[in-house]
Amino acid sequence: MNMMESIVEDRVSPEDLRKFEAKYLSALKNGFVPPTTQFDYSWCLIRSESMSRVREGVKLLEDLYKKSGENDEKRDYLFYLAIGNTRIGEYNKALNYTEAILKVEPKNSQSHQLHEYITKRRNKEGLIGAAVAGGAAVAVLGGLIGLGMRMCIL
Amino acid sequence: MAAGPYNYSYIFKYIIIGDMGVGKSCLLHQFTEKKFMADCPHTIGVEFGTRIIEVAGQKIKLQIWDTAGQERFRAVTRSYYRGAAGALMVYDITRRTTYNHLSSWLTDARNLTNPNTVIFLIGNKSDLDAQRDVTYDEAKQFAEENGLMFLECSAKTGENVEDAFLDTAKKIYKNIQDGSLDLNAAESGVQHKPSNGPRGANLGGESSGNKDPCSC
Repeated sequence: MNMMESIVEDRVSPEDLRKFEAKYLSALKNGFVPPTTQFDYSWCLIRSESMSRVREGVKLLEDLYKKSGENDEKRDYLFYLAIGNTRIGEYNKALNYTEAILKVEPKNSQSHQLHEYITKRRNKEGLIGAAVAGGAAVAVLGGLIGLGMRMCIL
Repeated sequence: MAAGPYNYSYIFKYIIIGDMGVGKSCLLHQFTEKKFMADCPHTIGVEFGTRIIEVAGQKIKLQIWDTAGQERFRAVTRSYYRGAAGALMVYDITRRTTYNHLSSWLTDARNLTNPNTVIFLIGNKSDLDAQRDVTYDEAKQFAEENGLMFLECSAKTGENVEDAFLDTAKKIYKNIQDGSLDLNAAESGVQHKPSNGPRGANLGGESSGNKDPCSC
């Protein structure tokens, strides 16, 4: 397992998710969510098993990115947006985010590694997807032939 | 096979902690690449580096997690303390504030690692002696009071960098040998690969945590 795989495939512990969710919800109730609280919670969400929760995390990160006025901070949110989008299979979107970082910081090695990891994963899943689609076509064809044969018999 | 780069008997997990800009990533880079990395961007969350070293004739792979110093990553970095056999706690000898924050880093390290985790204090940027803001003696005393190992290093010149990483490993290895570090305990930060080590069968032979999840 390489570094980016272990970072992208890291899963949140149920205790951490509960803890940071409670903190976020109570801040929300009080009418002010500090960016750190929102970031911690979204970081937990994008490491969740549930894809719908990962999507929630991505939304919260998009919101942080929009509200942030600091370049360093924006870059960090982009990095985690790339991770979150990778988890839900939005590879092209994820690659747009790593590209955006590399445009500003061409030598950022973490972003290079993440970009490379996402590209490989997309290509690999693309091949698997093509194979599955190919298999499905064969099955449909097989079904039609079967149907044809039955019709002949009838 | 014996000389192969993937042949090692142990994996030790380290973390590097400390304020932003003290040179954590540069220390790691100097140790793994033997090069100084000028103008490196700040670390996003965490990253890691590895290097195989030798202690008492045993090959040991160090898996070193380098953490971001920024406050906004505190929750992220805290989640990486668990299961660290060694913690390198870094300050910058030219910036007193980074030294003043050590007690808070130490509290985190003590609370989030196990009692056997070896904590090594590093005063980085020793090449900038003219701008020194923290004396050697003062830091040495702090280290002694808190039971920490201590060295001043320079990620730029490489001075003492090897020693800091290697001395930490030697101490961990000693703790394994004298039985104070239980390899079977959860989150010891040490994984043993008995098949590769000549004395492997004697140490943690029944451990279920022998598998190497990381082939990097």
